[in-house]
Amino acid sequence: MIEINQLTKTFTSQDGTPVHALGGVDLTVNDNEFLTLLGPSGCGKTTMLKMIAGLQGWDGGTITIDGKAVTGPGPDRSMVFQNFALLPWATVMDNVCFGLRLRGTERRAREERAQELIEMVGLSGFESKRPGELSGGMQQRVGIARALAVDPQILLMDEPFGAVDEQTRRLLQEELLSIWERNRLTVVFVTHSMEEAVLLGDRVVLMSARPGQISEIVEVPLARPRSSDVGGLERSREYTEITAHLWDQLRSMHSEHRAVEAVR
Amino acid sequence: MTSLTHEPERSARPAMLNRLDSPLTYQILTFALFAIGWQIYGTFFGGLLVPTFTETVAALVPTLVSAEFWEAFVVSNQALVLGFAAAVAIGVPTGIVLGRFRTLERLSNVYLNILLVTPMAAIIPLLVMSVGFGLLSRVILVTLFAVVMIIVNVRAGIRQVDPSLIQMARTFGAGEAQIWREILLPGALPSIMTGIRLGLGRAVTGMVIVELLMVSLALGGLILEYRGSFNGPALYAVIVAIIAEALVLISAAQWLERRIAPWAPSAGKARS
Repeated sequence: MIEINQLTKTFTSQDGTPVHALGGVDLTVNDNEFLTLLGPSGCGKTTMLKMIAGLQGWDGGTITIDGKAVTGPGPDRSMVFQNFALLPWATVMDNVCFGLRLRGTERRAREERAQELIEMVGLSGFESKRPGELSGGMQQRVGIARALAVDPQILLMDEPFGAVDEQTRRLLQEELLSIWERNRLTVVFVTHSMEEAVLLGDRVVLMSARPGQISEIVEVPLARPRSSDVGGLERSREYTEITAHLWDQLRSMHSEHRAVEAVR
Repeated sequence: MTSLTHEPERSARPAMLNRLDSPLTYQILTFALFAIGWQIYGTFFGGLLVPTFTETVAALVPTLVSAEFWEAFVVSNQALVLGFAAAVAIGVPTGIVLGRFRTLERLSNVYLNILLVTPMAAIIPLLVMSVGFGLLSRVILVTLFAVVMIIVNVRAGIRQVDPSLIQMARTFGAGEAQIWREILLPGALPSIMTGIRLGLGRAVTGMVIVELLMVSLALGGLILEYRGSFNGPALYAVIVAIIAEALVLISAAQWLERRIAPWAPSAGKARS
C-alpha cells in the first residue's frame, strides 16, 4: 500500500517566481489496484509519480510504502517512461535484462526471465534488434518488459503511450490490461487522456494545477476482466458518463486557467 | 512531389545505369573534371610553379619510391602519432569531466573558446622560445591543434546523453559508478569517436604547419625545398601524398566510428 500524506513541492521557475507543483496531496493506493492519475499539464502528476519512484525529492509531507518511508528508488518499484528510455546501443534482450543486470542477477537466469517477458509482450524474434530498428509501439513493449522483469510490486507508468500513434496506443492499452489481469500488481498510471484513465483504472484521480491538488477521485465500476471486450465497454453507459464527467471537469479547469491568465 | 515523378523513371532505366548511380561514380566524375581542368590550366597558364596533372602524377612515382620522401614521412609522422595520442589521452577525459560537471565547464569555457579561435600558427614562436625546435615542440603543437576538437565533441556527447536514461538506471538502483559505466560512457561513445576523427584531421594540419613555419624539416621541409628549387611537379607530388595520407587516416577513423558505435544514426556520414 502506498500512502501519501500532505505532500508539497515548490519549484523555483527561471524568472525566480515560485511554482507550486504540489500543494498538500493526500492519496492512498491499495495493493493490486490500478490507479490512474489524470490532469491538465502542470498539475504535478508526473512529479508525484517520480517522487513515488524515489527519483525526485519533495519539500513537506511523507510517502510510505507498506509503512516504510520512501527515501530513494527501491527493488519494489519499477518505472515505464514516456519516451521509452531504452539504451540505443543495446539489443532488445540486453534492454530487457538491464534492470536484472544492475541488480546482479546472473546471466543465465536473467536471460531466461527476459525471454519470458519478451514473449509476453509479443516481441519473440526481435531479441537481437536495437531500439532504432523498432516502431514506437514495439519500443514501449520493451520498456514494459524491462520494468516487469525485475518482479516489482508496484509499476509506475508515466504517460507510457503518449508517444505512440492512436491505433498502437489502443492496442497497447488492451495488452496492458490483459497482462495486468494475469499478474495483478499495483499500478500507478499517469495520463492526460480521460478515455485511457477510465478504460484502465479502478479509480481515476483527477488533479488540478497551480498548485497541484487532487480535485476528485472517481471510482470506475466497470467489471474486470476488461481486456476481453474493450469495444463493448467503450460503448457502455458507465464508460461514456464517466469520461464525459471527467472532461467537464477538465474543461472547466482549462477555462478557469484561461480566465486567470487573462486577468494577469 | 519530385520523388513521385522521378521514381518510376528510375526503375524503368536499365539495371546497368542504376548500378552506376552511386556516390563513387560521382566522385570519379568530379575528379576527372578536376584533373582535366588542372591539365588545361597547367599547360597554358601554369608557368614555373604550376605543373600539369600528368607531370604531377609522373613526379609522384619517383617521390613515392625515394628514400628521402619516406625518411621525411617517418619523421613527420612521429610528431603526428605522439601528438595525436596525447590529444586523445588528454581530450577524452577532459571532455568527459567538463560534460558532467557544469561548474568546471563554466570555469574552462573561456579558455576552450580561446583555443578554438586562436590561429595556432600564432603561438609557434612562443613554443619555440620555451621548448626549442625539437620533437617535443612539434608534438605539443599537434596536440594543441587536435585536443580542442576532441574536448568539445566529447563534452557535447556527455551532455546530450538522454537524462531519462540516467533516471531509468536509478530506478533500478544504479549508483554513480554504474551510471558512468552503463549510461554516460556508452551514450557519449559516438561523439567521442566523432571528436577523435575530427581531431585527427586537425592533427594532420598541425603536423604540416609546424614543419612549414617552425622547423623546416621532414615533409614540410621537402615542400619548402622543392619550392625553393622551382621543382613544381615534386612539390605537388608531396602535397598529394600528404592529402592521400590524411584521406586514408580519416577513412580509417570513419570506419572505426561505424564499427564501434553502429547504433549512432549518422556516424561518419552526415557530420563529416
